[in-house]
Amino acid sequence: MNKKLSLKNAGTFLVFGGPSIFAFAAVVIIPFIVGLYLTFTNWDVRTGDSSLIGFTNYLEVFRDKVFLQQLWFTLKYVFFTVVIANVFAFFIALALTRGGRGEQWLRTGFFTPNLVGGIVLGYLWQTLFSQVLPYLGAKYGWELFQTSWLTNTGTAFWALIIATAWQLVGYLMIIYIAGFTGVPNDVLEAASIDGAGRTSVIRRIILPLTVPAIVICIFISLSRSFLTYDINLALTKGGPFNSTELATYHIVQKAFLSNQYGVGQAEAVVLFAVVAIIALTQSYLLKKLEVES
Amino acid sequence: MKLRKAASFAIALTVVTGLLAGCSKGNSTNSAVKEDKGNGGTQTQQASKDVKLTFFNTSAEVNTVFEELFKKYHEQNPQVTIELIPTPIGGAQLEKFQSLLASGNPATIVNLDAGTILQYKDDFLDLEPEKAKYEALTNPGAIDGALLDGQFLGIPWTAQGYGLLYNKRAVEEGIGGAFDPASVKTRDDLEAVFKKIEAAGKAPVMLHGADWSLGAHYLGLTYSLQSQKVEDNRKFVEELKNGQVKLTENPQFTGLMDTFDLLKKYNARKSDPLVADYNRDSADFAKGAAAFYFMGDWSWAVIGTLEGRDTDFGILPLPISNNPEDFGNAQVAYSEPKLFAIDDSKSTPEQQEAAKAFIEWMVSSEDGQKAIITDMGLSMPYKDLKAKSTNVMSNAVSEYVKQGKIINIGVINYLPQDYWAKTGAAMQKYLVGNIDRQGLAQEVQDYWKSYAGK
Repeated sequence: MNKKLSLKNAGTFLVFGGPSIFAFAAVVIIPFIVGLYLTFTNWDVRTGDSSLIGFTNYLEVFRDKVFLQQLWFTLKYVFFTVVIANVFAFFIALALTRGGRGEQWLRTGFFTPNLVGGIVLGYLWQTLFSQVLPYLGAKYGWELFQTSWLTNTGTAFWALIIATAWQLVGYLMIIYIAGFTGVPNDVLEAASIDGAGRTSVIRRIILPLTVPAIVICIFISLSRSFLTYDINLALTKGGPFNSTELATYHIVQKAFLSNQYGVGQAEAVVLFAVVAIIALTQSYLLKKLEVES
Repeated sequence: MKLRKAASFAIALTVVTGLLAGCSKGNSTNSAVKEDKGNGGTQTQQASKDVKLTFFNTSAEVNTVFEELFKKYHEQNPQVTIELIPTPIGGAQLEKFQSLLASGNPATIVNLDAGTILQYKDDFLDLEPEKAKYEALTNPGAIDGALLDGQFLGIPWTAQGYGLLYNKRAVEEGIGGAFDPASVKTRDDLEAVFKKIEAAGKAPVMLHGADWSLGAHYLGLTYSLQSQKVEDNRKFVEELKNGQVKLTENPQFTGLMDTFDLLKKYNARKSDPLVADYNRDSADFAKGAAAFYFMGDWSWAVIGTLEGRDTDFGILPLPISNNPEDFGNAQVAYSEPKLFAIDDSKSTPEQQEAAKAFIEWMVSSEDGQKAIITDMGLSMPYKDLKAKSTNVMSNAVSEYVKQGKIINIGVINYLPQDYWAKTGAAMQKYLVGNIDRQGLAQEVQDYWKSYAGK
């Protein structure tokens, strides 16, 4: 009887979980393992050659100064993107949970950029930065927008951050809203009876109670911005003169343009390790801050 | 209840098998083979077989014209279906080609840069048996120009030239009189024209700031200007890789860069030279906002259909010195940039035969030539053309070709694929004053040294 039941359970699990597991294995796990294997070969599409060469590719990674430079650039980019996106998302979510009018519309509005594909979004912002803003800048004499932001190494960096953060904010906002609704009303009421001001309510009650949401949001924004490729491609194409190439962009260029597949793949593995370490560390550390209401 | 469970199980099963089927290689080509009942099987197998071809296109701006051609061909040859694999304009084309190849699912026909075909030469069909036929069809020298390491791997179908395009009306308004292109023989001649135009309150020249224009077209001339022979130019690149060449001592390089300084000085986009919006730059030039434009006849694809544009355009060679006799001062850069090649790694012999027939139809039939010349606005290196070009610029280039005044830029076919992106970035730095001439030469030399022995 029991055996039959567990068999049935397994069957049910397969029906519902099977397709996802299959898809996950097909597009994530298997490619990852194959990719790992490829880093130890000198694989080249053109010749079809793929003999094992040990750790040569990894040595090459650390000799590729440009990649290390770009990894550092990516870290800076991720840091600012994560901070900006989360701060904005947090306060927008806060503003949109107060029960004001038209909240639903605003929520939808902020979320919409997420539905736009990165490429489209990149081209959209490209037009804004290279055409619309300089036009307005020339018309009204705004010094800041006289020239396109995308042609200056410093401003192109911020353009990239703004575009990514803009896309991320809506998504994170939804998670924060969910987090806020989890804050029990009685606690908030008690606080207001005790005469707590708005800022101290946020600091001492809402913030600690939404740590789980913060952990998730930072995790998502970290991994997403580390792996940004589409916006980078559409917005700046790594320019001006390769100064805004994120690590992912560099890897694709390395593999497919310079035809160094093994090295490119090894760089991808290094990037994976960096992302994994940072994302796991942050969630481990932040989880410690979680409290029960 | 039971029924519902069964139904959901069936759905899940379909999904899973669907996924599995998606992973296995799409054998749509073989499974499409159908017996024609009416013919009783006595007809030739070839005619009754359905063939499906895929066409990988890197001339993304004319995707739709190709699709129309495929439809037309299908109407005339119902057994052949051709499917377009489009690529985005200016982005990720090679990546897509490689991923198709690596996944064992390459396109039957490709429209690729000659250099790319050379890199993957083992995967393409040797077209030696077709060579004589195409030599008869094309202009003298066209097939020789398409050979890659002496092998005939791709069929040329378009010809392109580039140099200093000029907008006749804008130039004449600037200099206050008729403009004779033959009067510009040297850099000083050009500067004199620029000065006059600037004095008239107009922008003399449009310098497009994209890396492909600066790296491949502009700086790339350095390699092609060394000699009229591609072989010698290849030797020059080898010497660059071995570090035997100092660019700052190379007259072609310094001459080119002196002219570049001139273009930079009179650039219409001087205040923000890297914006590099190809459509906007082309449109502004076509409407006379700048008198000259360092670009090629392909920009007609944008300009030709533009409303409110000027009508009279021409092309000048880019002068690189003050001696009119120097090679390059009277010649425009010319090449057959794209070739049609046929896959030989996975395609069946039937597919290859059908591909050959289709390509021949495309370049020699009236429908095909009309599409290429009239709709795409490209010029073809073929004899007896059945359509007349509306592309004023490629007609101007053709005049140079007829007189033999061309720079053969075939050396670029042998350069590594990333040369334009990498050296183009160095040129961009130079354009905005981030590095000086010395620094530019150093970056370019360093790039080539990284390819030493490869």
